[in-house]
Amino acid sequence: MATQTATANRPKQSLTVEEKIQKVRELYADAPGIGKAALEKGLPQLKEELAAPPSLQTAGRIGLRQGKVSELCVFLPFVPGGAKRLRDLLQLLDGNFRAADAVGTVHDMRFVFVDNDMKLLFATAYDGDFDAYIEDFASKIPNAMDLWLCNFEGYPGMRNPAAAADWIASHQIAAEAWYVNSPNLTAPETRRLEKVGKAVEELLDKIG
Amino acid sequence: MLRETIGEGVSEQAPMLDLQEIQATVLRQRPAPYFGTHVVLRVDEAQAGREFLRRLTPHIASSANWWNGANTWLSVAISYAGLQALGVPQDSLQSFPEAFRVGMAARARQLRDEGVNDPKNWQKPFGTGQIHIGVQAFSDSEEKRRRALAVAREQYEGFSGVSVLAIQDFGAQPGDRNSLGYKDGIDQPAVEGSGVEPPPGYGRPIKAGEFILGYPGEVGVPLPMPQPDILGRNGTFVGLRKYQSRVGAFNRFLHASGSTDEEREWVAAKLVGRWRSGAPLTLAPDKDDPALGADPRRNNDFNYANDPHGRQVPLGCHIRRMNPRDTQLTRLSDNNIHRLIRRGATYGAPYDPNALSEKDDEVPRGAIFLFISAKAMATMEFLQQEWINDGDFIGVGNERDPIIGRQEEGAFFTIPKEPVRRRIRGLETFNVLRGGEYFFMPSISALKWLGDLDG
Repeated sequence: MATQTATANRPKQSLTVEEKIQKVRELYADAPGIGKAALEKGLPQLKEELAAPPSLQTAGRIGLRQGKVSELCVFLPFVPGGAKRLRDLLQLLDGNFRAADAVGTVHDMRFVFVDNDMKLLFATAYDGDFDAYIEDFASKIPNAMDLWLCNFEGYPGMRNPAAAADWIASHQIAAEAWYVNSPNLTAPETRRLEKVGKAVEELLDKIG
Repeated sequence: MLRETIGEGVSEQAPMLDLQEIQATVLRQRPAPYFGTHVVLRVDEAQAGREFLRRLTPHIASSANWWNGANTWLSVAISYAGLQALGVPQDSLQSFPEAFRVGMAARARQLRDEGVNDPKNWQKPFGTGQIHIGVQAFSDSEEKRRRALAVAREQYEGFSGVSVLAIQDFGAQPGDRNSLGYKDGIDQPAVEGSGVEPPPGYGRPIKAGEFILGYPGEVGVPLPMPQPDILGRNGTFVGLRKYQSRVGAFNRFLHASGSTDEEREWVAAKLVGRWRSGAPLTLAPDKDDPALGADPRRNNDFNYANDPHGRQVPLGCHIRRMNPRDTQLTRLSDNNIHRLIRRGATYGAPYDPNALSEKDDEVPRGAIFLFISAKAMATMEFLQQEWINDGDFIGVGNERDPIIGRQEEGAFFTIPKEPVRRRIRGLETFNVLRGGEYFFMPSISALKWLGDLDG
């Protein structure tokens, strides 16, 4: 199965800030009036952003990464009956995803049914590179993965992790841009800091 | 904690390995003491390369009787550029994994080989694409090593079309220590079906397919195998990474962290998780126990059940990273699918505890780290990203492996202690990567197939 190449591999721009501003002006020359006005008024802030060093990397074979956090966004085609099955399953789960807790690299997941229930838009933020833990999923939580992914066309099953990874990548659309508020805070680090923060507060309570 | 088993449809029986086909280096431990040589060759003409392989193959040892067989042997492995140079057909070349095809230097980003470890700083011929064939001689004596090497040399000398690019000797240091003064090579994964009970503490045997192509792996299915079948089956992948040990920097760090020999040895033990003798901190928490270190039936027989916070063996130390055993990790991981068979070897000058200068950092000595796995490329990338150059997986944030990690400015190492942890600063990159490459280690039948290719 052919896999897409990441758009993050686009050639790095080596323009000066002035050249970039010139470029934005050209882009907005025929923009709606609101846009033109916004460009003029917002130029000082925009200048700062354009002057900052690039902060995006690739998340391995596909997708973007900022710091330690990567994005994954796939459009998955349902098998007949798959949309109803998954929607009802998700409603029964009611927001409880123990497998995602166990995985430890997942920050968030969203499941959006699109195209009249023909496809699922699945988007997630996770730590590290795309391929790193696929085989661990296959070894540790194959059933949790197969239970929801069986609802999509062409899914080869988690017991064939290399094929499953290729299948996911083949449906992935790399984001053009990716923003992370705390790019160096991984999911386990966030939990660790929560614990540390709580312990510090308790200590202060005792002292104070 | 959510746990699942693999379920039905998975072979429960250990496959009988085809030991006559698998090269000896895959299963046979190096002798102790050991003497060895790597010869790196380039194939300039396909016909000559194949002729060389035809002549060499009868001298390549198989794994038959690997546990009590000869203690001198030859092995051979071929890079992707080597397979191309030998005229392997295109559809077969394309059946190899991508990371193998592009080579180790081209995977620098995935391997986190950046900064001082960047391929642009590597020694020639590493990273030039000219390394085609590696021949290794292993032996328990200098004299037998010489003889084994002479056998290999007879096969490539005297006809054109195959050139020697480099010859690197390696071998045991006094007391079987590595270039930072530690006894190493302890703790190898046991391979299921290979016919020998592992010593105490080595864990359950791991499915053969993790290490040899053509057998079921831990997930139940065999890994994708290079084609045709005769080329892939019973073969495996070998990675080579050559490290220069910066002994001066390491000693300076120990001196900055401890004011007496005793303190320095304590810090040195905490970095690795073992005393220099090989005695594990779990079994010898307060002081070294050389007899324990030297005893293969005791020196690996432990787990971390009573040490979840790392007060004996720091969570971020070298051996706890490379084999977390029963440590509770922050990420869902199956430790049995990230193991490597290690055939590392020490080269150059022995460790010198009095070497403190920057000049000492450049005295040639270090490790030629050879690692073997049916998915050596993916496993090394995983280890470099997750277990070596990061610390999140085991709860130590941005800390990196103190021995083989690439450190950045301001790096530190945390030693958990009661009542408060001690954090030692000034960690440097003590082992600098000087080169590396991936090889395919074919079965005996595959070597014959390669030698008999047409065209």
